[in-house]
Amino acid sequence: MLVFLRYTIRETATNLWRNRMMTIAAILTVAVSLFLVGAALILKQSAAQASAHWQGGTRVTVWMDASASQSEISTIKSTLNSSPFVSSCVYHTQVEDWHEAQQLLPPNEASVLTVNEVPSKFVCVPRVPTDAAQLASALQGQPGIYQVTAPYQQIRAMQHMIRIVQYVFLALALVLLISATVLILNTIRMAIFARRREVAVMKLVGATNWFIRVPFVTEGFIEGLIGSAIAVVGMTALHTWYPLHGVYQLSTSDLLGTDIAVVAVGVFIGSAGSAMAIRRFLDV
Amino acid sequence: MIRFENVSKTYKNGTPALKNISVNIEKGEFVFLVGSSGSGKTTFLRLLLREETPDEGRILEAGRDVLKIKKWRVPYLRRNIGCVFQDFRLLPNKTVFENVSFALEVIGRPRETIDTQVPQILELVGLSDKANNLPSELSGGEQQRVAVARAFVNRPLILLADEPTGNLDPANSEAIMALLERINRAGTTVVMATHDQALVDRMRRRVIELDRGEMVRDQARGVYGTDSGETL
Repeated sequence: MLVFLRYTIRETATNLWRNRMMTIAAILTVAVSLFLVGAALILKQSAAQASAHWQGGTRVTVWMDASASQSEISTIKSTLNSSPFVSSCVYHTQVEDWHEAQQLLPPNEASVLTVNEVPSKFVCVPRVPTDAAQLASALQGQPGIYQVTAPYQQIRAMQHMIRIVQYVFLALALVLLISATVLILNTIRMAIFARRREVAVMKLVGATNWFIRVPFVTEGFIEGLIGSAIAVVGMTALHTWYPLHGVYQLSTSDLLGTDIAVVAVGVFIGSAGSAMAIRRFLDV
Repeated sequence: MIRFENVSKTYKNGTPALKNISVNIEKGEFVFLVGSSGSGKTTFLRLLLREETPDEGRILEAGRDVLKIKKWRVPYLRRNIGCVFQDFRLLPNKTVFENVSFALEVIGRPRETIDTQVPQILELVGLSDKANNLPSELSGGEQQRVAVARAFVNRPLILLADEPTGNLDPANSEAIMALLERINRAGTTVVMATHDQALVDRMRRRVIELDRGEMVRDQARGVYGTDSGETL
């Protein structure tokens, strides 16, 4: 076992060194592609977190006609209170809204606004953020209601944008991952070619197939490992110099999880690349 | 030790390599395999190593049916068979010592075994003083002795030699033959394919002649040509 370990370490190091240009190319490709994968993952997590935050703050505002009668207001109130989509509602009277308008509008406009012209409103918290749209459409057009507004369109547009960016990142990363795998496959193939004499002797004297294969597998494994380590360093550096703020900020454990995923992918493509090379080019 | 029972082998391109060969080689025998190029000598040796499998027939080595050995067990079969080739097949970037120790290392022998057995075998082949030289610094005869040392360091039951003297001058051929004889005297079965007529004639060992895949002669204490020697 000790012999095997020493042998494997020595042969792997020899392989890596003998093919160092190809080794560097493979490691850098792994690093760049995994950096993109990692960035896409962080973006996805961050976007998911931010959109959950915004959705939690979703309010459906039911604006009443300024001329709505008291009975219309109380009908809407009871409709809202009995709606399965609504968790709670607060009624703002015309006077309250008028005061709010005085603060929001420029003085020359605010001064011409009278209390009777200002609509009263219900501000409702939907039970689930995605119910906002259904609640709005259910109320729209009922007597006494002027307009129902909810910010779901903005949230949706934002999510859509983030998703497109994510897909672009992931597609780029996927292409790069494939090229990294092929590059690793090629370095291993060259290592096998460089060592064809040794391999022939090993077969002749009765080395087991796994004994012959293992140095090549570890070579790919190490290329994947170093490449993903560089990617993790890059991700950490990026995050240190350009930190995500506010609702986008991710917890350390989320970042660590992404780092682990990136390393796992790196090790996987390294091993997969060498496994393919061994299957195709090493006849044992 | 080695037994071929009605073994036939045809290569994919249709060339028959061996036709219905039956032969029995006892433990400790020294056998010459003679015949012109393409007569099937190398195929015979490759079948013993299970680098090839026959189309028909049965091959037994040390009582085991070679064809029934599972693919992943084949390396263990090869550990009992040493091999020497015309072109030496040494590793050019390893020293004499490393070339020999490599053979033990890759079958997982511990360091202590390597450190005792390699000097012993280098002593046997007379290359103790060249242990740290590279093959390129050695003569052809010395290189072949390293190859013999590598083949024999694991004390195999069988030693196969495919034209081991093919690249050597007569004096060096002599030295290699003396070495193979010595190994044979220690109890190892030696099968040697050769073109070297003078050598076969002088040694007077068992000769198996192949011609276009057929066994045309099997003589104890034979010679290279067909005219003399006792028929079995």
